[in-house]
Amino acid sequence: MSDYILSCKGINKSFGGVHALQNVDLHVKRGEVHCLAGENGCGKSTIIKAISGFQPQDSGTIEFDGKVYTSLNPALSIDLGIQVIYQDLSVFPNLTVQENLAINTVLSNKEKIYSRKKQREIARKVMQTLDLDLDLDARVEQLPVASKQLIAIARAIYAKAQFLILDEPTTALTRKEVDRLFEIIRGLKEQGLTVLFVSHKLDEMYDISDSITIMRSGENVYSGPMATLTEDEFTHYMTGRDFDNVNDKHAEDRIQKQAVPAMELVNLSGPGFAHVSFKVQPGEILGITGQLGSGRSELCNTLFGIEKASSGQILRDGKAVKIRSVQDATMNGIALVPEDRLTEGLFLPVSIMENITVVNFDQFKKGLLLDRKAQEGNSGEWVQQIHVKTDDHLLPVQTLSGGNQQKVVLAKWLSTSPKVLILNGPTVGVDIGAKYDIYQLLRDLASTGVAVLVASDDLAEVVRLCDRTIVMRGGLMSGEIAGRDLTAERLTEAIM
Amino acid sequence: MSKKIKRLLGKNELYVAIIILVLAITIHMQSGLFFLPNNLVDLLRSIIVNSIYALCALLAFVSTGADVSFPMIAGMSTYIIFKLGETTGLPAFVLVLIALAIGAVCGCINGFFIVKFRFNSLIVTLSTSTICYGIAFGALKGVRIDVPAQFADFANWNILKVAKTEKALGASLHGAFLVMVILYLLVYLVLNHTMVGRAVYAIGGDEVSARRAGFKVDQIRFGIFVVNGLLAVIGGLCYACMCKNCSPMEYYGGEMIVIAAIVLGGVRLTGGHGSLTGCILGTFLLAMVQNSLTMVGISVYYQNVFIGIIIILGASVAAIQATRSMKIKSVVDKEGGE
Repeated sequence: MSDYILSCKGINKSFGGVHALQNVDLHVKRGEVHCLAGENGCGKSTIIKAISGFQPQDSGTIEFDGKVYTSLNPALSIDLGIQVIYQDLSVFPNLTVQENLAINTVLSNKEKIYSRKKQREIARKVMQTLDLDLDLDARVEQLPVASKQLIAIARAIYAKAQFLILDEPTTALTRKEVDRLFEIIRGLKEQGLTVLFVSHKLDEMYDISDSITIMRSGENVYSGPMATLTEDEFTHYMTGRDFDNVNDKHAEDRIQKQAVPAMELVNLSGPGFAHVSFKVQPGEILGITGQLGSGRSELCNTLFGIEKASSGQILRDGKAVKIRSVQDATMNGIALVPEDRLTEGLFLPVSIMENITVVNFDQFKKGLLLDRKAQEGNSGEWVQQIHVKTDDHLLPVQTLSGGNQQKVVLAKWLSTSPKVLILNGPTVGVDIGAKYDIYQLLRDLASTGVAVLVASDDLAEVVRLCDRTIVMRGGLMSGEIAGRDLTAERLTEAIM
Repeated sequence: MSKKIKRLLGKNELYVAIIILVLAITIHMQSGLFFLPNNLVDLLRSIIVNSIYALCALLAFVSTGADVSFPMIAGMSTYIIFKLGETTGLPAFVLVLIALAIGAVCGCINGFFIVKFRFNSLIVTLSTSTICYGIAFGALKGVRIDVPAQFADFANWNILKVAKTEKALGASLHGAFLVMVILYLLVYLVLNHTMVGRAVYAIGGDEVSARRAGFKVDQIRFGIFVVNGLLAVIGGLCYACMCKNCSPMEYYGGEMIVIAAIVLGGVRLTGGHGSLTGCILGTFLLAMVQNSLTMVGISVYYQNVFIGIIIILGASVAAIQATRSMKIKSVVDKEGGE
């Protein structure tokens, strides 16, 4: 028996003349956690679809457990013990935990009659695989993402998975939940399972993976053990670019220390947070960090008038202001880039141009109508300025990748020329290349005298981007870290 | 135990039941006429047809989306077989089979376009409905015709009679009530005790997941619309036999009150949610409002105002619950941040 459980050799796949995969090799050792990394559109999901049999490759072979296949189909691949946990988890939100746990098993047994009692037994057994303790009668839509994921994993393992593919499993999880997931993955590894872990978060890969394959534009650009890969090499392989020029972090002169604070909170309380006080200077990038549920999102929303403060004061340029609505906030030069850009920040089927100009419709009024030429001109400038990768800014936003969508949200708010820009999770689900672009953009913006507030639970991001950060825990400000003390270790300590 | 109560409180069905009870007591206190045998029998009689239609709407909404074709499929097929019955004298069971066949064909057309071309079900069923309307009136001159002799037995079949008293009129429960009960039992068994039934919910919950899990999504969807065609025909036949005549015009627009009723009963327009209890309760509530408001001296013309208000109230309970469960709440620690 060979060391490798999976060996893909020379895989090619094209869609209408576009090469999604070119001669890709992927070798995964038995019993290891192998990371598959790459930016959006690099072909990660295409190769997963080939392995899971949902979309067979055009040419090349897949060797699994010693047998060579020229193409797989879903049923065969499941028989071989290959299980994929998709990013959307494939759970049924409207059904109970019990049904979600058992439905695959019942289906593959080809049963016609549905028995609640039998199903309960199966569900119990499925839960045992991961020592879960969930309320079997709860509806899955009411559970947090982490629990849904555990359901999907437990289901896969119960279906005799030997080879588990996790497609970006940590995107919607908090730090604690990620730790729990990793514990489970390590447990599975000890039981002899092989895990292919798809991700683009570097710290997580170091944490969990034994070896790594990096893909770029449909090609395999690096394969090797995880431990010997440095961060710079990783970024280089991922993006094909080098990013040495973004280290202006301690540019002290950018922060206008002598000026009146751009924003100051005095003992501010609101829904989900209390007694928060801090100042932020023009030109400063201030982090607000804390776990999910620590009150950081609520604080951002309150500063932007989505929620109302119950007591305390907000000062803008030294003057007390009342922010009761989004209009109040915009009038005071405050802008918010929301956490969930898909539901809160963008109109997906609408063009990039309209998304960028929507907050500024007043500027483009021509009598009762909108001046479309001016709108297009304005949007065109922004698209160039912040490097949105698109051929035409009249295309719908949904044609863009995650990172570029986020840039559009940024452009939309930057076009209002805010004095205080609040960003909640600015790079969630964004590629590493686009991430650096966004960091650079925010630094440039800060050096024009804008105060930037970044709420994030991505500690690496806070360390890399912020001059100073406040830490929230249980709705209260539990600390402030600045300058050389601002390291990932200190932050981890502070937020826990 | 408290979990069970909490789950119950999250259900629309409970609120509809409470509204029904409160309304019933109010009407009775005002008029003294609600809890009388004849009124209750009348009410049961009046929910028969709409609750059969409600099955069509439930199956469609839970799995796919709107189906608005059932009243006109019912109207057209009933009209056709009544005419046939009159002119040819074919026996009743043959006529019923013909009607069912027509319903099934209409259902196949719905299902074919929805599954094969992934058209929106509202648009497809709206078109089928319009075509049926056109056939009934254009090709067949849809006038009012009496129930043919073959159906006379069924039309006159009452399973329960309440005699006339001093205070109230007599009433009778038509045999179609049994048809309704049987259909509900059948649908209940299928939805809750077969894998096909669970598939209906699974598809409505997440179509892609259902495909990945190995459900035959397209076949099941197609099947649902065929079944809807059959159910519609049965409902339509019951209606005509209870009225002892058939006029396609009376079927026109019947879908609105049915959809309103099932939404009240907790069926979500976005799919995946809905129960038979909800269907019955919603239908019952609306029937009650229509039947009983006159008892408390509210003019027939204002009934629609009340129906509208009840629908908005019912729908908002569901909406409020949905938004509530979406929110992630941060809570300030009482002890402080240490």
